[in-house]
Amino acid sequence: MSEFKVVARLSEIPNPGRKLIEADGRLVVLCRKDSEVYCLDDVCTHDGGPLGSGELQGYDLICPRHGARFDIRTGCARTMPATEPTRTHAVRVEGDQILVQWADDDS
Amino acid sequence: MTTALQPFGFDTESFEAFLAQRAEPEWLQAMRRQAWDAYCKLGWPTRDHEEWIRTDIRTFRVENFRPPLQPPLESAAPAGLLTHGVELGGSCVSINSHSTANVLDPQLAAKGVLFGALPELLVENANRLRPFLERQIVVPGYDKFAALTAAFWIGGQLLYVPRGVRVELPLHSLVTLTADGVDLQKTLVILEEGAEATMLSETASLSQDTDRGSAAGTPPAETRGLHVGITEILQGAGSRLRYVNLQNWGTGVWHFAHQKARLERDAGLQWTLAALGGKTAKVNQQVELAGKRSECQVNGVMFTEGRQHFSYHTLQHHQAPETRSDFLYKSALQDKSRTVWRGMIKVDPIAQKTDGYQRNDNLLLSDTSRADSIPGLEIEADDVRCTHGSTSGNVEEELIFYACSRGLTRREAVRLIVTGFFQQVLDRITIPSVRDALVSAIAQRVREYR
Repeated sequence: MSEFKVVARLSEIPNPGRKLIEADGRLVVLCRKDSEVYCLDDVCTHDGGPLGSGELQGYDLICPRHGARFDIRTGCARTMPATEPTRTHAVRVEGDQILVQWADDDS
Repeated sequence: MTTALQPFGFDTESFEAFLAQRAEPEWLQAMRRQAWDAYCKLGWPTRDHEEWIRTDIRTFRVENFRPPLQPPLESAAPAGLLTHGVELGGSCVSINSHSTANVLDPQLAAKGVLFGALPELLVENANRLRPFLERQIVVPGYDKFAALTAAFWIGGQLLYVPRGVRVELPLHSLVTLTADGVDLQKTLVILEEGAEATMLSETASLSQDTDRGSAAGTPPAETRGLHVGITEILQGAGSRLRYVNLQNWGTGVWHFAHQKARLERDAGLQWTLAALGGKTAKVNQQVELAGKRSECQVNGVMFTEGRQHFSYHTLQHHQAPETRSDFLYKSALQDKSRTVWRGMIKVDPIAQKTDGYQRNDNLLLSDTSRADSIPGLEIEADDVRCTHGSTSGNVEEELIFYACSRGLTRREAVRLIVTGFFQQVLDRITIPSVRDALVSAIAQRVREYR
């Protein structure tokens, strides 16, 4: 398991809202709801395409192409056409800094 | 989080500096400038384009790389995989776009054969090569990568075989990259009327810990790098070429390639493409059957693992009557890797009696790998035979069970099945050293899977 590292500032992310960021050569979506921040791979498991420009409704991030919904807290696919979860990463907020710990590299 | 821009990137300033240091004829520099204009105007491909819809290059940053204007300090290249036990008629090696060694049998040179580094041979043979360079069968404006190569190619190989000359022994080219190296190259293969030749071309990364690179057949280290290249094959009437292309970069290399052949009347091409390395590979491979009765056979072998992503877009373009094409691509995928294969047979109205075939088979060795296979036909003539097929599937448990019941371990069983899967395409490759190298490289990569 890798270390937590700073990837963005809390103030960069709309509240509520999401932001696509690139860190360590990966693209991930940071989703914010008040003081809670979650981090998901920018991958819709339905077609392998990006999720980053999707709309955030409550705790659901909605894929912009076919409307699959992913729970930002767990990555679980909540509606068709996605059936598999998208990967999530552990997040810690320290002041204005958002720190992320990458889930296993090879998983 | 943020990427600092490095000086001397791929900008107009470095392009002008590059042009100034090349002792090149005016016409060539004019072509380069035209392509550079196209490069500046074009945007990087996005997922809105049909060709890129399944290939994500948002983490690719050209500014993370520098044009390799100076020759590298390293000079030792790893041994090639394709040449074990093969007597060669010539060989050439390059590191980071710069040529480090060129050898050609003097008897071939005496017959007028040219083989070696394109920039050097161009200096001595500018007038003879000019018409071939000006052909630009890969259109520089096709996309930003094609434009970048057409403008900024630094190295590359040339094989020129004059009319009627038969080159019996294979010619070998090894193209290598160091860590963070850039290979920006244009390769030209020209066979004049009635000429014959075999060219073996392969790529490799020098690993980071030693300059010797990886031992033959072992998966190379994850060394970052960039290859952007154009390969053009121009075959005159009745010429015969066997061309082998093995992409075996380290797993951190971005590979963007445009490869195109044009065959005149009665010409024949056997083209073997093998892809094992790289992080993300996007390849456009096209054959134009421009002359009556020209024919080509393409054998594609791909093995992916880790998070590799290979995207191959092939076009077999029948432009004349009685032409034949036969494309067979086979991929085995491991771990979380992904392949995209999009093939098209295009038949022009004039190309009656065309016989076109394309097939793509995928063997998924893990539940998390993914293969997208999209064969297509675009036929404008009414008296043709064009067929295509595609299969994707897992290794059957029953086959493994049977092999295990005969005393093999699970891993041995899977290796055997994977080798068997590739046998159909390997049988078509007429060069034993190439077949052996591919079998051993693939067998070493297959892991035990459940």
